[in-house]
Amino acid sequence: MQLKSRVTALAAALTLAGLCSAAFAGEEISGQSTVSGKPMSKNLVTVTQDLLNKSPTDSNHWLHSNGSYAQTRFYPAKQINTSNVAKLRPAFIFQTAVTESMETAPLVVNGVMFLTTSYNHVYAIDAVTGEEFWHYKHKLGPVTTYCCGPNNRGVAAYGDLLFMGTLDAKLVALDAKTGKLVWETEIADPEKGYSETMAPTVVDGKVLIGTNGGEYGIRGFVKAFDAKTGNLLWTFNTIPEKGHEGVWATHDATGRDLLRNIGKEKELLAKNGSDFYQTLGGGVWMTPAVDLASRTVYFTVGNPSPDLYGDIRPGDNLFTDSIVAIDLDSGAYKSHFQYVAHDVWDLDAVSPPVITEARGKDGKMQKVVIHGGKTGHVYVHDAKTLELIRFSDAMIPQENMWVLPTANGARMLPGANGGVEWSPLAVNPKLHMSYAANLHQPMTYHVEEAGYPGGDKLWLGGAFKVIGAEKQWGRLAAVNLDTGKLAWKADTDQPLMGGALATGGDLVFTGEGNGSFNAYDAKTGKKLWSFNVGAGANSPPISYSVGGKQYIGVAAGGNTQLDFKRGNSYVVFALP
Amino acid sequence: MKHILAALLASTLLLPTIVRAGADDGKAIAAEVCAACHGADGNSVAPIFPNLAGQTARYIYLQLKDFKEGRRKNELMSPQVANLSKQQMNDLGMWYASQKAKPTGFQADGAKVIEGKKVADAALCPMCHLGGFSGQNEVPRVAGQHYDYILKQLMDFKNKRRTNDAGNMLSVVRTISDEDLERLAQYAASLD
Repeated sequence: MQLKSRVTALAAALTLAGLCSAAFAGEEISGQSTVSGKPMSKNLVTVTQDLLNKSPTDSNHWLHSNGSYAQTRFYPAKQINTSNVAKLRPAFIFQTAVTESMETAPLVVNGVMFLTTSYNHVYAIDAVTGEEFWHYKHKLGPVTTYCCGPNNRGVAAYGDLLFMGTLDAKLVALDAKTGKLVWETEIADPEKGYSETMAPTVVDGKVLIGTNGGEYGIRGFVKAFDAKTGNLLWTFNTIPEKGHEGVWATHDATGRDLLRNIGKEKELLAKNGSDFYQTLGGGVWMTPAVDLASRTVYFTVGNPSPDLYGDIRPGDNLFTDSIVAIDLDSGAYKSHFQYVAHDVWDLDAVSPPVITEARGKDGKMQKVVIHGGKTGHVYVHDAKTLELIRFSDAMIPQENMWVLPTANGARMLPGANGGVEWSPLAVNPKLHMSYAANLHQPMTYHVEEAGYPGGDKLWLGGAFKVIGAEKQWGRLAAVNLDTGKLAWKADTDQPLMGGALATGGDLVFTGEGNGSFNAYDAKTGKKLWSFNVGAGANSPPISYSVGGKQYIGVAAGGNTQLDFKRGNSYVVFALP
Repeated sequence: MKHILAALLASTLLLPTIVRAGADDGKAIAAEVCAACHGADGNSVAPIFPNLAGQTARYIYLQLKDFKEGRRKNELMSPQVANLSKQQMNDLGMWYASQKAKPTGFQADGAKVIEGKKVADAALCPMCHLGGFSGQNEVPRVAGQHYDYILKQLMDFKNKRRTNDAGNMLSVVRTISDEDLERLAQYAASLD
């Protein structure tokens, strides 16, 4: 892996050397930033808490990977709208030095864009022209352990600093103006299977970040670090030492029988004890949502370890496959809701939660938190208690749920990637609709007995396999959050991964693995525009405005997990 | 000439100092202990011995550790690693990872390669081994490996002769026919 990135870097260095020896001299030194010819824009401003709070109505910047603390991915500007989106054209294409999976959602601070690539490179570029200000490459340690690609999903900004989690489970703070490293701290031990791909979020001087590692037998967490010093402030373990067996739930959140053998599980727990909490998984893959009014942090917790072999981990495996609320200031537990108890399919909770409004059980509008599941449902929760208000119609086909995995494989839909994978939802708060990028990948689920291999090896306890003869496809699905009904669906040739963006112009944007980047009418789902970016468009799109002009951006980097064509570019569009 | 100089300069800049030192130490051990079968530069002398050039350092280290601690067994390998230290095993990993794989000269069967890619896609091989089987971290590079060696590993996983995979590979290959495993090996061996 490191060799590969070095080869890529070498190729880039050679190309540059051929063109300009001065540019070459400063290129690509691990752990340092390089400044190209252009000095940092004078427009770059300090990202204050006030600016971060105002994101929901901010029509200039894009300051959070998912648009705001509420994570609606709704950008209020209307300049690009249903009547003129057909004229959308590329404004610039920025090429990075890394041709590998891109899942990044850049930030844009007053016309300066900060974007990341696989292997933890960060670029600062002019968000109007694409000219480069600086390039930082994290010096990865000798050991990295991660599933599903060397991805990075973006930075967080606070004050004059940027924050990034790394594949070797570090948290780094960079000077936004220069790209220079300000501090670095270890989040967890990469030799035990910890790694970081998520974009952190920062609030009131606290950097909040979860962890990957549910495929390696970690004990998941969300941690808060001091933005100034990098000191650890608090840790919330997603696996409690006591009580992870839960309530021995027999049914999932939608009332389907999980076909558990509770008697056998209880026997195994009594016989073998509950020390497995230390390797029970429960990664937090995506950025938490923050409700400042109630000082609450919401996040989704991923699968138990190992993914498919359950006998080694009897019980509900709390808080895996759950949405969890904790206190922003102390990290103390507030509430949780588990979707799938004792998961043996890896149909977990990955896509980040969104805070919005919808009708409650009493028909009145209220604050809700929603999550798009790998199961194919959008779940709508009461924001105070996380009680489930409703779940949506299935967005994709479901069959044989919850047939247990076998050694030779049992077919069940959806496949293990979902439904909705890590892809963030978008919400149009005016229309009370959510938009979710879904996959349809028929798979068989296979179980294999396997003890904990030590943290340095993948630990699935089996496998999932695609059924070659069955067609795969994708679906952008709009759900009416007040009723849970599907409002519309737009099908695509390939499974969707990357997420959605909704705008005040009543548009929804999402990209496909074949490079098509599309705009849809938010009310009807009619496709209004498409442009092929030349490699998989598998990153969450963003929007921002500079000098009164609105832009839409998406990465063309392809995807490791679905093996979509790789690229190295960030593509930005505007009206002519 | 300017380009060659640039390339040399670039490779010097790009290799972190610590990796270079470890790789140099690994080179000496490789010459003494491993070269007879795997080649001094990791391009092996016969198709039954795996190429190690360009393999991920982490995978080489973990396999050496597994041989040493008995999780993986081979009558030729086990005695070779018995006296290697953790540092030496890491150094060997870094040395071979830094070496360039040479073409094996394998004459692939075009039809089997096409079918083999379908087998790989259905089994979701690229999710861990990456597209083109280039490998990452503890997951080995299989691209350009000897066909004989690849097929032997697949069959060993299937028949539980190799069991240091935490069950992942056994689960993957258990339901793939021997003929399809041959096609899969053809496909992987045909990659650069």
